[in-house]
Amino acid sequence: MRDAPLPVALAVFAGLGLVPFVLGDYWTGQLARYVLFGLFAMSLALVWGRAGILCFGQAMFFGIGGYAMATVTLGTFAAVPFTAALPALVLAVAVAAAAALLVALFLFWGAGIGGAYLAAVTLALAAILEQAVRGWYGLGADNGLSGVPPLPLGDNPWDPRPIYFVVLAVAAAVYFGLLALLESRFGTLLTALRTNPERLAHLGYSVVALRVAVFTLGGAIAGLAGALFVATDAFASPSLIGFALSAEVLIWVALGGRSVLLAAFLAAILIRVAEAYLSETLGPWWLLTLGTLFMVSVAAVPNGVLATPLLWLQGRLRRTS
Amino acid sequence: MALLQLTDVRRWFGGVRAVDGVDLRLERGELRALIGPNGCGKSTLFNLISGTLRPTAGHILFNDRDITGLPPHRIARLGLRRKFQVAAVFDDLSVDDNLRVAARTKRAAVSTDALLGRLGLSGRRSVLAGVLSHGERQWLEIGMVLAAAPRLLLLDEPTAGMTVRETDATVDLIRAIASSGDVAVLVIEHDVGFLERLDCAVTVMAKGRILRSGSLANVRADEQVRSLYFGTAA
Repeated sequence: MRDAPLPVALAVFAGLGLVPFVLGDYWTGQLARYVLFGLFAMSLALVWGRAGILCFGQAMFFGIGGYAMATVTLGTFAAVPFTAALPALVLAVAVAAAAALLVALFLFWGAGIGGAYLAAVTLALAAILEQAVRGWYGLGADNGLSGVPPLPLGDNPWDPRPIYFVVLAVAAAVYFGLLALLESRFGTLLTALRTNPERLAHLGYSVVALRVAVFTLGGAIAGLAGALFVATDAFASPSLIGFALSAEVLIWVALGGRSVLLAAFLAAILIRVAEAYLSETLGPWWLLTLGTLFMVSVAAVPNGVLATPLLWLQGRLRRTS
Repeated sequence: MALLQLTDVRRWFGGVRAVDGVDLRLERGELRALIGPNGCGKSTLFNLISGTLRPTAGHILFNDRDITGLPPHRIARLGLRRKFQVAAVFDDLSVDDNLRVAARTKRAAVSTDALLGRLGLSGRRSVLAGVLSHGERQWLEIGMVLAAAPRLLLLDEPTAGMTVRETDATVDLIRAIASSGDVAVLVIEHDVGFLERLDCAVTVMAKGRILRSGSLANVRADEQVRSLYFGTAA
């Protein structure tokens, strides 16, 4: 199972690198957020598209990463002895990964849940977590945590370009890192896991161990995206952790194409850009438009609006080479 | 010691006694066919041996180890490999990758080239398994269960849906595997013609129990087996 053609991936990241030279500060700052949503979408494409685990609560890990980043850099909990951004980021990723590991152990090892039940249970977990955060005064409850310090990049914290380049570099590093991982034996096993888990178990592989591993990795990436998002947005809110964002990321990934990481990444960015432009003109009709688009694409282009042409191109390139 | 030894193995689904006290012994390198009418518990027995299901009662020893209730991947690692009734291959992986995954270790115990040649799939190695024909898929899966040099193969109707020529080739393949002496094979099959060609010991199951064991000729001559399985007119 291949991802998008390498030249296309390189062109996408190079093109995104040029954007700040064309757009103004405001849109560069917005685009940094969208790239992080794209990174978040990649984590779900890995877990759902590549490993066949339909997680309906992926925002849990995005939100946990975000809140961990916010509380550490704001010094909310006295027990954490540092407030510097870099260790906070590392801790945030670790906490999100640990949460994903815990959820995965409960789901796959303890309860042996799969398929549609898994979607339902992860959905419920995300809803419960969102309610818990909304009621937790130490985390600002419904108001969230504002004034999260920006990443210490240069002298002018109001210049969105340094953070944009950092975010883009992180997204590119994760993308190409995952690409290498998926080209390795582990990637072959993930494809086998998605295609026929029972066959894989009867060949001597622990399906539970594979699922736990990929789910934890997905949680770590989602947590990284969430932590960087909160630092970029200066704000951690309960909407980052719950049901709505979990459903949204699912729509981005499904629309773009769940089996192609680059398609999921791009779809998140493009839908967010479209939303920024169209939600003003369309108002409440925007969500209806997105929903309709989602339904039509799932029926007409089940492999994804972006993934389908990308995979076709990949096939063409491989045949000619 | 026998390679596989089942002692009073039972599996009940509510009130249904799918497997109801089976004793079975299989020696190293032995080839044996397991036959019986639909619903007699053959596939359930395979599920119990390979770990898909846990027995309600009884013990299963494999290679001197108690494997009762172990999960499938642990049992597979001990050298017990199972071929499913509906060919279970990884459609999104190439033939090569299917065999590589099946071999588990980096340096395959069995040469992939030799295996592909034996299966008649040498020209198809970089093709996705999803586009193989029905017979090729069955062979690929047989190759996959062979790839890690197992001690015991469980084959569940390996020739189901095959043409006569494909069936013949499969019989030759199974006989070749068994004649090497390293691998024991337990094969579920319905087709009497196939059993005649396979020319091996036969165990007959009925209603969750072992009815008879012996040569095909002996088993076919048995009155109880005739009425139950081959039909009285046979």
